[in-house]
Amino acid sequence: MRPSDIAFRLYLVALFTFVFLPILTSMVFSLNSDRFPTVPLGEVTTHWYETAFSRPEVWTAFGNSLIVAVCAAALSTTLGFVTAYTDFRYGFRFKPAYLALALLPPTIPLVIMGLAMLAWLGRLGISGTLPGIIVAHTVMGAPFAMAICRLRLSQMDPALEAAAWNLGASQWRAMRAVVIPFCLPALISAYCLTAAVSFDEFIVAWFVSGLNKTVPVMILEILQGNVDPQINAIGTVVFLTSMALVIIAQLLILRKTNA
Amino acid sequence: MTDSDPLVRFSGVRKTYGTFEAVKHLDLDIGRGEFVAIMGPSGCGKTTTLRMLAGLEEPTAGEITIDGRVMNEVSAHDRDTPLVWQSLALFPFLNVKENVEFGLRMRGVPKADRHGRAMLWLERLGLKGFETRRIDQLSGGQRQRVALARSLVTEPRMLLLDEPLSALDAHLVIRMQGVLTRLQKELGITFVYVTHSQSEAFAMADRVVIMGHGEIAQIGRPQEIFRAPRNRFVAEFVGRNNILPGDKPGHELVVAADRMQVSASDPGEGALAAEFLSEEFAGTGIICYFEGPEGVELKAQVTEDQLDDLSPEPGQRFWLNWAPGAAHVMAGI
Repeated sequence: MRPSDIAFRLYLVALFTFVFLPILTSMVFSLNSDRFPTVPLGEVTTHWYETAFSRPEVWTAFGNSLIVAVCAAALSTTLGFVTAYTDFRYGFRFKPAYLALALLPPTIPLVIMGLAMLAWLGRLGISGTLPGIIVAHTVMGAPFAMAICRLRLSQMDPALEAAAWNLGASQWRAMRAVVIPFCLPALISAYCLTAAVSFDEFIVAWFVSGLNKTVPVMILEILQGNVDPQINAIGTVVFLTSMALVIIAQLLILRKTNA
Repeated sequence: MTDSDPLVRFSGVRKTYGTFEAVKHLDLDIGRGEFVAIMGPSGCGKTTTLRMLAGLEEPTAGEITIDGRVMNEVSAHDRDTPLVWQSLALFPFLNVKENVEFGLRMRGVPKADRHGRAMLWLERLGLKGFETRRIDQLSGGQRQRVALARSLVTEPRMLLLDEPLSALDAHLVIRMQGVLTRLQKELGITFVYVTHSQSEAFAMADRVVIMGHGEIAQIGRPQEIFRAPRNRFVAEFVGRNNILPGDKPGHELVVAADRMQVSASDPGEGALAAEFLSEEFAGTGIICYFEGPEGVELKAQVTEDQLDDLSPEPGQRFWLNWAPGAAHVMAGI
């Protein structure tokens, strides 16, 4: 191996250590019997998981997060796919503006987004409700879903859809029989990714959730009270859930790119 | 409707995109069971013509009738005009059999019937045993045949082909030409074949339509077009022709390269003196290029033996002449 290769490998190891060490630490302490995060470690225990998940509000928060993630991901993916398809299929005068607007939400500072959502959802009367959080997370997730769907559609031969019409499929039929099956890996991938975005999202959810707390909001509330390894336990579960979603999304994106 | 009526009629068809006129004016009849090739350089309007016939583009003006029925308002999916695409456009998420069944599925043919008809066509095109293969596991030639089977499985009266062989290797092109002409004869249906390759058009078509700048430049049997091009555009597009000034103003002579004789000494009889430029091996013979009077480029096709005898050097002087009947006169334009 050449020195540059060794250096590159070391760099990679250092990079990943830097990124994942804090999360790994949290995981380790979630299984540690000591009350405080200190070295040397105590015994291995699942005690913190047991206490954390014996609290009803933890279950409620997980339930809320799950409902929000499932719904927001479905809406984001639908919206993202439709936007991407419009871009793929039609040319129109204000298309650059249309695309810029569709991709804008991630560039808005989250605090501003949270405040704006709070004000707007309040006027609609759904602030503090699960539908309110779902709306907010859909706005945040749709651009990601759109980016993934656009990537997939850019790999589609434009003749494919026309070939379906040519073989007797109406526009809707061609959409169902050709465009959606072709984009299916991207749709699943977008669904997982937007679900992960929603599941993790704290700031906007904190503004709009009110009494219906999602998991990240609940974690903060527990943290404000005391430092407790239960947080590590809950954090680990959250991290593993979103990691699993993101990994599924990535695998699907990579596989379809190679195909 | 009688059998002598044309299957397809374009009358005064025009297609514009903004200010660009893809097809300026098209009057064309296509008969039943005819193999018609529409040929021309890229941007001549040939693909637009085909797409209008399939209902993928709507004519800006004029009328297209199929079997006497005006098709302008009929949407693509209600037409019986399957198209073999240049990119083939096979569905990558379906296997071979599912691709072939697609048209039947869209038309609501029951499953058992679909299966039987798809298998019949797969067998007919030599794809038996490939039913469950994925499209990306097939060779170019096999994909070509899947595309054909997919279009023919609904037993249409007419098949449209848009440069289907352009992605194949030369030896496969010849083989697929054989497959296509045989299929067309056996099925007795109309083939409308769009191509920029004159070898494909001339090898397969009963009638060739040459298009240029959105208009028909000439329609005729391959020999007619090759031997008697109507104007300079056709003569130049067909290639391997010498275009020479005629006896009268506005007249031009066309002499095919294979009818041009090369001699090392002046044979008299009005032979043209020309300087040798280069030679090019062209499969059926060797094309020699010369610079004739007033800088005009001349081509003559010779055999390998003749080339050895002449052993031309660049800049060397030769005389080119042709038999009196070999020249075709183009009047006007």
